[in-house]
Amino acid sequence: MTTTDVRPRGRWVRGVHRTLTGLHPALESVLAAVVGLLVGAVLMYIWGYDPWRAYWALLRGAFGGDYEIASSIARGVPLIFTALTFSICLRAGMFNIGAEGQMYIGAAAAVCVAYFQLPAGLHLFVGILFAAVAGAVWSLGPALLKLTRGVSEVISTIMFNWISRFLVFYLVAFVLVDPRQAQRTVRIPVSARFPILVQGTDLSYAVFMAVAFALLVYVVLWHTAVGYEVRAAGLTPTAARYGGISIKRTMLLSFALGGVAAGLAGAATTMGLPPTFAIISGLPELMNLGFDGMAVAMVGRNHPIGILFAALFFGGLNAGGRVMQFYGSNPVPLEMVRVVMGAIVLAMAIPELIRLFPALAEAGRGLARTIARRKPATEEGA
Amino acid sequence: MRKWLGLALVVMLAATPVFAGKVAVVLDVGGRGDLSFNDMGFKGTDQAADDFGLEMVEVQSATAADYLPNLRNLARTREYDLIICVGFLLGDALDQAAAEFPNQKFAIIDSVVDAPNVMSIVFRENEMSALVGALGAMAAAHYGYPNVGVVLGIEIPVLYHFEAGYRFGIDWGNKKYAAVTGTAKPTGLLYTYTGSFSDIALGKAATEAMLAQGAVGVYNVAGPLGIGDLEAITEFHRNKGTKSGPPYYFGVDANQDWLGKAMHALASGMKRVDTGCYTAVKAVVEGTFVGGITSLGLAEGGVGISKFIDLLEFIDFGISAGALRLEDRDETLANWAVNRGTIPAWIWRAVDELEAGILDGTILVPTADTGAEMQAIRARYTLGAP
Repeated sequence: MTTTDVRPRGRWVRGVHRTLTGLHPALESVLAAVVGLLVGAVLMYIWGYDPWRAYWALLRGAFGGDYEIASSIARGVPLIFTALTFSICLRAGMFNIGAEGQMYIGAAAAVCVAYFQLPAGLHLFVGILFAAVAGAVWSLGPALLKLTRGVSEVISTIMFNWISRFLVFYLVAFVLVDPRQAQRTVRIPVSARFPILVQGTDLSYAVFMAVAFALLVYVVLWHTAVGYEVRAAGLTPTAARYGGISIKRTMLLSFALGGVAAGLAGAATTMGLPPTFAIISGLPELMNLGFDGMAVAMVGRNHPIGILFAALFFGGLNAGGRVMQFYGSNPVPLEMVRVVMGAIVLAMAIPELIRLFPALAEAGRGLARTIARRKPATEEGA
Repeated sequence: MRKWLGLALVVMLAATPVFAGKVAVVLDVGGRGDLSFNDMGFKGTDQAADDFGLEMVEVQSATAADYLPNLRNLARTREYDLIICVGFLLGDALDQAAAEFPNQKFAIIDSVVDAPNVMSIVFRENEMSALVGALGAMAAAHYGYPNVGVVLGIEIPVLYHFEAGYRFGIDWGNKKYAAVTGTAKPTGLLYTYTGSFSDIALGKAATEAMLAQGAVGVYNVAGPLGIGDLEAITEFHRNKGTKSGPPYYFGVDANQDWLGKAMHALASGMKRVDTGCYTAVKAVVEGTFVGGITSLGLAEGGVGISKFIDLLEFIDFGISAGALRLEDRDETLANWAVNRGTIPAWIWRAVDELEAGILDGTILVPTADTGAEMQAIRARYTLGAP
């Protein structure tokens, strides 16, 4: 009885799976978005909000006009960078969770330009350089641990996130602090700020840096020999090694490039984000941008061009979500807005997550190996 | 009779301002649920919206990067008669938004934004801190404790108001004790700037150090760090085997007397953010809104030392927020009465006397806005420090 029940259902599931996986990626994303929106609508309906009006507010708030579109793009800028950090390393076969911490360090380095004076353009350039170098240097810690001791980058980057978080807390509170406004650091001088692109919005010239960097990553990964090596090492490390590719080199390179991206995210949120142009105590303007970047990378299929669109989508969700809070007679409170956003993002990320499942499983096995390797050491000690 | 009733009704309707407007309240990343600053901002605006028949919306900020967009989004609609920013962290954003939207009325709590369309509501925290300081000093002398303590957050000008007033109050309490009892037992001050408004463990550590040095009580001037302060005090009592009496906890901002079922919280220096928000809405409704600084002190009901009626109000506030169980209400009230009873009546009368003096202007509580002014006050009221 049971076998006859299961078999047709199994065939049905396989059929659906084949249909879905055969879809064009863009169509797949649209389908995922529709599913996410439906789940969000059901959630809002259950808790007594009007999904139709709420989504109308979301759409108007995200793309309803020049101001809205500029705000959406502005919100997506740092996410482009942190998503690139994750994607570059993923293409090289590693799970780099460290964008968050590298971004903090980059932001702190960018604030340092407030302590000296330079001509306008040069000052900005030096700030960008500081942030990029600082992010890359911070990413070397987990990279070297992996290369020399085989430490899983998942664990080490998470640990480094905490170190950088409290290090930057300290720097903000005691070193870079503005003596007159102790809740934040000194402000970045006008000569080192990204000029505002659309007056009356948060959109600064940092967006050009983000797009340029994404294109650069695309060219490097897909149109240079080094990029080919990185991707080859990521797809099948053993075959790549057999082909004469130095895995250590590709790992180091991808980590460093990812670190540069995260550092630039820090620069964009300090030198290019009005009105404060500083880091506030507790890092409330930076917090979670690195982790959100991972979701952006998933939605953008870990491709630099896809990430540009995904970041715009995320920025739109964020900017529109703000409007959902006060639009109409029964506005949706921020907590509910975030639940809905979570449903949409999760649905959008699922296709890529499924595709990545073998790689995820491999990372898990690597983790297990790291833990298992410690055992003989303790036995020797005993 | 019916005619008079009808007339009264007409008069009442005429007196009620016809004003169908909208107000918005923008909160910082702390958001709702802190049972203190943000919740009080919401409560005050909500109350005003109810009383004046306005529509109110609440906008929270997920990150600090949302402050300015939130203000812009609201101002762009041109629908809001007033946009209230709760918390000094929104100061930079409002500075910019007020310049971009000169016809939009704004109000901000706890920060000064210099613009003609912004009502900056600040509090004279020195006044209620003086009352808490006087109470602490006299309680210390009464029980033979050498010191009274205060745990502060980040060293910012707003906190100087607290410290300055507290120092003045302790000095006043010392003099009062000597005058009433005929013996001088000057109480010293222990103070720590923890550098944090979020690390509860720092509050606990600072309080433990103060209790070890004989502090009769600790005044929390660091928001959530008070939870750590109270924890240290509760543990101290447990080790000593006492249920009430010194050492005491002094709450801040909201009425925190009910925390820990009011076992050790003696009084709170209240800063009525709700009154501030209410005042701003009222000014807009009555057409008396002007930009500039509105300072709220004891006289305006903006600050004060907690009384029984405040406890009743905030105990319900705590219950509705789920922070206190309804069945613990009576026990909390009983604990509070017992703990208050450990302070002799003459000390309570002396505190009332100081309050009356501040209210009628015969006693002027000093304050400090800069580091230099604070140094001058520290030099004037050394309170045991060499």
